[in-house]
Amino acid sequence: MVPLENYVALSGILFALGVYAVLARRNAILVLMGIELMLNAVSLNFAAFASYLDPDRVTGAVFAVFVITVAAAEVGLALAIVIRLFRLRATSNVDEAAELKW
Amino acid sequence: MGAEHAWLLAAIPAGAFVVLALFGRYLARGGDWLGIAAIATSFALFFPVLADFLSEGDGLGPFTAAVEWTRIGDFSFPMGIFVDPITIVMLAVITTVAFMVNIFSVGYMKGEPRYWWFFAVLQLFAASMILLVLADNLLLLYIAWELVGLCSFLLIGFYWEKRSAVEAAKKAFVTTRIGDVGLLIGIILLWREAGTFNIQEILRLAEEGHFGHTYLLVAMLFIFIGAMGKSAQVPFHVWLPDAMEGPTPVSALIHAATMVVAGVYLVNRMLPAFEVVDETLLVITVVGLVTAILTGFMAFAQTDIKKVLAYSTVGQLGFMFVAAGAGAPEASMFHLMTHAFFKALLFLAAGSVIIGTHHHQDMNELGGLWKRMPITGTTFLIGSLALAGVPPLAGFWSKDEILVVLDKQWGPWAVSLLGFAAILTAFYTTRLFIRTFLGQPRDPHIAEHTTETPPVMTGPLLFLALLSVVSGLVVFHEVGTALGFPGGFGEFVFLPSHGPHGYEFDAAFAGASVVLALLGIFTSGWLYWGGRLDRSTRLAEWQPRLYDMLVNKFYFDELYQAAIDYGILGFSYVVSWFDRYVVNDTGVDGSAQVTGYAGFILKHLQSGRLPHYAMSLALGVVVLAVAGLVMRG
Repeated sequence: MVPLENYVALSGILFALGVYAVLARRNAILVLMGIELMLNAVSLNFAAFASYLDPDRVTGAVFAVFVITVAAAEVGLALAIVIRLFRLRATSNVDEAAELKW
Repeated sequence: MGAEHAWLLAAIPAGAFVVLALFGRYLARGGDWLGIAAIATSFALFFPVLADFLSEGDGLGPFTAAVEWTRIGDFSFPMGIFVDPITIVMLAVITTVAFMVNIFSVGYMKGEPRYWWFFAVLQLFAASMILLVLADNLLLLYIAWELVGLCSFLLIGFYWEKRSAVEAAKKAFVTTRIGDVGLLIGIILLWREAGTFNIQEILRLAEEGHFGHTYLLVAMLFIFIGAMGKSAQVPFHVWLPDAMEGPTPVSALIHAATMVVAGVYLVNRMLPAFEVVDETLLVITVVGLVTAILTGFMAFAQTDIKKVLAYSTVGQLGFMFVAAGAGAPEASMFHLMTHAFFKALLFLAAGSVIIGTHHHQDMNELGGLWKRMPITGTTFLIGSLALAGVPPLAGFWSKDEILVVLDKQWGPWAVSLLGFAAILTAFYTTRLFIRTFLGQPRDPHIAEHTTETPPVMTGPLLFLALLSVVSGLVVFHEVGTALGFPGGFGEFVFLPSHGPHGYEFDAAFAGASVVLALLGIFTSGWLYWGGRLDRSTRLAEWQPRLYDMLVNKFYFDELYQAAIDYGILGFSYVVSWFDRYVVNDTGVDGSAQVTGYAGFILKHLQSGRLPHYAMSLALGVVVLAVAGLVMRG
C-alpha cells in the first residue's frame, strides 16, 4: 500500500509543473497542455483521497471521470480558439493576442 | 323597514352614482331621472326610518348596528351605523334639500355640458353625506368626510374650462385639507388612548375620565380644527366664497345646507367630550363669534349675489358654533336645520335669478326684478326674512334659542356680540334683497329680457319657502308631539347630561331679537331703498379706507398669498436648493462621477495579456493560502 503522502506529493509536483507551463510558456498549445496537467493533478488528488477515506466506494474515481470528460470538451473548445487565433494572426503566441482590454 | 335599514338611504344614491358614472352619458336625458329617482327613494325611505325610530322606547333611540369590516391581528375594525335624534335631524335636512336641489338642477343645468356627470356627482355627494351622519365610528366618518370634500372639489371645478373655477376648487380642497389633517390627528390621538374608533365608546371613556385632561384637550382641539376647516370658520373661511364658482344648485346643497354643516354636526356629535374639557367650549364660542361678526362685515361690500350669500352662510355657521360652544346642541342643530332650509331656498332663488336674467349675478346690473320674477322674488323675500330673523319665520326661533342659551352659558358679553352679528345679518340680507329685486333696473336691457323660471325650478323654491316658514315651529312642544316626536325640538335633541330642554317663551329675548332684526332691516332700507345708492356711496367716500378694507374682505386672501409667497415658497426654495445641489449633484451624480473617474484610472491595470491574468490568479491563490495558514495559526 502506497502511503497517501506520495500521491499528494506527486499531485503537487504535477500541479506546479502545470502552473509553470501556463505562466512561462508563450505558445498557446503549451499553455493548454499546462492546464491539462493541472486538471490531472486534481483528478489524482480526488482519487487518492477517496480511496484513503473510504476504500469501498468510488466517489473520487467518478469525479476523476467527470473531470476528464469536461477537460476533453474544454480542450476541444480551446483548440478551436487557438486555430481561429492562428488563422487571424498567423501565430499561436499568447502575448500577441493582447486586445482583451479596454 | 326600520331604523336598521337606515344604511339604504346612503346605499341607493351610491348605486345610482355607479350607474351614472359608468353609463350616464348614454342614458336618455343624461340619466337625471335616475338621480332624482334615487334621491327621491332616499327621501321617501327616511319617513319609515323616522317612524320606526320614534316608535321604539321613548322615541330618542339611539339605534346602532355594526358589522366587522376588517381585522388586523387581534384588533377588529367594526363599521356600523348609529341613529340618534341628531342623526335624524341631519337625515331630514340632507334628504329634503338634496331632493329639492336635484329637481331644481334639471332646470338650472339644462343644456350644460357634462349634464350626466353633474347628476352622478350629486348622487355620490348625497350618499357620502348620509354616510357621514350615519357613521358610528370616527374612521368611517373620516372616510365620508373626505368623500364629501372630494364631491365639493369636483363640483366647484365643474366648469373646468374656466380658470377661476379650477383655482377655486383647488383652494377649497387645500384649505379644507389643512383642517382635515387636524381632524385626522385628533382621531388618531383619541384612538391611541381609547383603543376604539367608536364614537359613543370614546364619549363614554371621556366622561369617565379615561383620558388625561391635557391629552383630551389637545385631541379635541384638533377635532375642532377639522370642523373649522369643513365649516369655513375664520381663519379657514376663505375657500367658501370662492366655492361659488360652482353651479348654483351645488352652492345650495353642498356649500350652504349640508356639507359645510358637517363641522357643526361633528362638534355636536362629540359635544359630551368637548364638555369634559370645557376650555374648548370657550374656543368654539369665540371662533363662532369672530366668524359671525367678520363675515357679517365682509358681506357688506360684496356685489355678487352668491358671494353675499356665501359670507352669510359662513356667518350663520358661526352662529351654530356659538350655540354648540354654549353646550346647547338643541339650539345648534335647530339653527342648522332652519338655516339649511332658508339658505338652500336663498341660493336656489339666486340660481333662479341667474337663469331668469340669462347669467347675471352682480347686483350692480340687477334691480327691479320683483315684477318680472314674482315667484322667485316672493320666495327670496321669505328666505331673506327668515335669515334676518323676523318672526314667525324659521330663522327667528332658532336665532332666539341661540341667544337664550348663550346668555345662560356665557352671559351678556357673548349675547351682545352675537346680537351685533344678528344686526349685520339683517342688514346685508335686506341690502341684497332691495338691490336685486326692488328699485329701478340698473341695466334696463337685462331687466327687459328677464322672465320667470319654469315650474321645475320654482317648485322646489315654493316647497323650501314653506319649510322656511313652518320649520321653526317644531320648537314648540305641541307641534312636536303632534308630529309624533317626544316633544319640541329641545326635548328631542339634547345633551344627555343636561336633559331635555322645553321651550320657554322669553319675551325679553324675543323682543330683543325682533328689535335687532328690524334695526338691521331699517338701516339697510334707509341706505338702499328706492334703488338710490347716494347715501351708501357717501358712506363709502366718508371712510374710504374702511370701505377698501370691506371690499377686500379684511385682506385675508392677500395675507395668505403673502404667507405662501414669502413663507412657503421661500422655504421651498431652500429645500429645492438642498435637493438640487446636495442630494442630486453631490449625492447621486457625485457618487456616479467618483465611480466613473475611478474606473478611468484603474482601467490601465488591464493589459489584455493572458499570462498577466494567469499570474495574478496564481499569486492570488498563493496569497489566500498564506493568509489561511496564518489565520489558522
